Formats: sequence, structure tokens, C-alpha cells
Amino acid sequence: MCHQTVSLVARHLEANGIPTVVMGCAKDIVEYVGVPRFLFSDFPLGNPAGRSRDRESQDLTLELALRVLETAPAPRTTVQSPLRWRDNPDWKLDFSNIERLLPEEIARRRAEFDRQKEIAKKIRVKPEAAE
Amino acid sequence: MSESDEGFGFAPDHDAPIPYLLRIRDYYQTLGYGAPYRWAHYAEVPFAPVAKPLAESRIVLVTTAAPYQPDKGDQGPGAAYNAAAKFYTVYSGDSTAEHDLRIAHVGYDRAHTTAEDSDSWFPLPALRRAATAGRLGGVAPRFHGAPTNRSHRTTLDTDCPELLRRIREDKADAAILVAV
Repeated sequence: MCHQTVSLVARHLEANGIPTVVMGCAKDIVEYVGVPRFLFSDFPLGNPAGRSRDRESQDLTLELALRVLETAPAPRTTVQSPLRWRDNPDWKLDFSNIERLLPEEIARRRAEFDRQKEIAKKIRVKPEAAE
Repeated sequence: MSESDEGFGFAPDHDAPIPYLLRIRDYYQTLGYGAPYRWAHYAEVPFAPVAKPLAESRIVLVTTAAPYQPDKGDQGPGAAYNAAAKFYTVYSGDSTAEHDLRIAHVGYDRAHTTAEDSDSWFPLPALRRAATAGRLGGVAPRFHGAPTNRSHRTTLDTDCPELLRRIREDKADAAILVAV
């Protein structure tokens, strides 16, 4: 949802004259929505601004985003950060990969998802100011 | 070994960006939730040219991370998905102050990410460094939090206009939007 949300916000800002760049780790979602400028990090979700406890990586990631912002020649410009999460790409096989889950784990996750949905619904109906 | 594997240095098939749309669709269908989620999707993309050099521009940061709420359960590194920590209205914070923003309310990769350093999802410190170095004209006085809502109507009709209003108020020239 995060990637869809920021993509929709980027589009709205651009349509109103404010240039944007999206930083994120879910390439297909951002490109499917359609945004003007996107710095893609091929990292696990949760690391759109660089590696944890690695200032060099964080500064490089921001600098790349700034360069995408100032140099994109046309909408749907995606640049992929050259940083690699791991030499071994096997981490990419895990996220929400139904083929890797046993039936009992699937049942557990469904129950947990339903529980969290109920919690979210209660907050949404009675939103609290988060200023 | 097929011919394509012979010394060309090709990467493994799965060493490509994760196909999230497909994964998420299959995941929720197998869990038993009928019709797949309809993601926002557009053929046309708006494009606002950058009007002046970044060294003269005021940049605003937009995040989907959430302010830490101590009374809302575990939001620490490795915490399970915690819907209680979600927020459903746009919020803003002082860009010059320190903030404790968390991501336990969203579906980040809990198997491969520690979520222990907010600088890896909320680049306000990096943005300040870039401004100090003269790379940017400045950081907008506030950053803004965008609620991650399944409802397109809420995002498009309520949250997007509210974010635009606040960003105009701050007289920002360009925006960096960071998705967790």
C-alpha cells in the first residue's frame, strides 16, 4: 500500500505543478500506478533510503534520487540504484511467496490478517489526530 | 547446463525485482480472499518540469512511516504487523526536530529487514546533510505523513489534496516521496 499511496500523491503533486521523485523498493507497483520519476532500490521492503546503519549508502541513495529529480527527461523515468542488498539474491524468493508456505502457516496467517483488519477498522472509523 | 548458462555471466532467473503484484495476488487468493485487489493504474503520467536548480530549491519530504505511539503495542525492530499503530489522517512534523518514526504498521520485509534504523526509510537526516552541503536550497519547514489506505477514494479525494495544501503552504519547490 505504501508504494501505491506515494505514487498517487506524486501524481497529484505533479498535476499541480510540483515536481517529485519517489524512492521505493517495489518497482512493479510504482510503475503500474505510473509516476514521473522513481529511484528504485532493489532491496527488501523497508529500505527505500539505503542500508540500515550505513550513512554512505543512505547519502548515495538520496543523491541518486536528487539526480533523478533534476535530470529525468520524461515521465516514467526509473533509475535503479547500483547498490546490491546481498551477493546472493535468494532473499527475493521469500516475500509473500505462497509456494514457500505450508498449509498450517497459511491458515495462521489468514487468522492473523483478519484480526489485524478488525483492529485497523476500529481506528479508521474513529480516527485519532496524529499531529 | 543449457547453452545460455555457458560462461556468459547471466544472473539467476530470480535475481530480478520482486514481482509484488503477482506475489500479493496469489498470496491473498490462496489465503481465501476472493477477488484480487484492484491496484491504481494509469496510462497517462503527469510531469512537472523542475523550474530551478536544486541548490536554489526548497525540498519537502513525504513519508508513509508513522510516529511511534508507546501505548499501541510493539513497534520495535522485528515487530509483527501492528495495525493498531496505523494512522488515517495526514500528519506533519517539524523538519528541524528529531523524530521517532516506525514502520510496524506496514508490510515491510520482516524476514530480511531489521527495521532498526529509521534513516533507512526516513531520509530526513540525509536531506539535512544535503542542504548543509549546499546541494539543496533548503529543507521545507515540515515533513508530511501520508496514510496508507486501501481505499483509493480516501487517498485521492482526501489525503492527496491535503498533502498538496500543506506543501504549498510550506512553499516547497519539489517533493521527495518515500514508500516503506
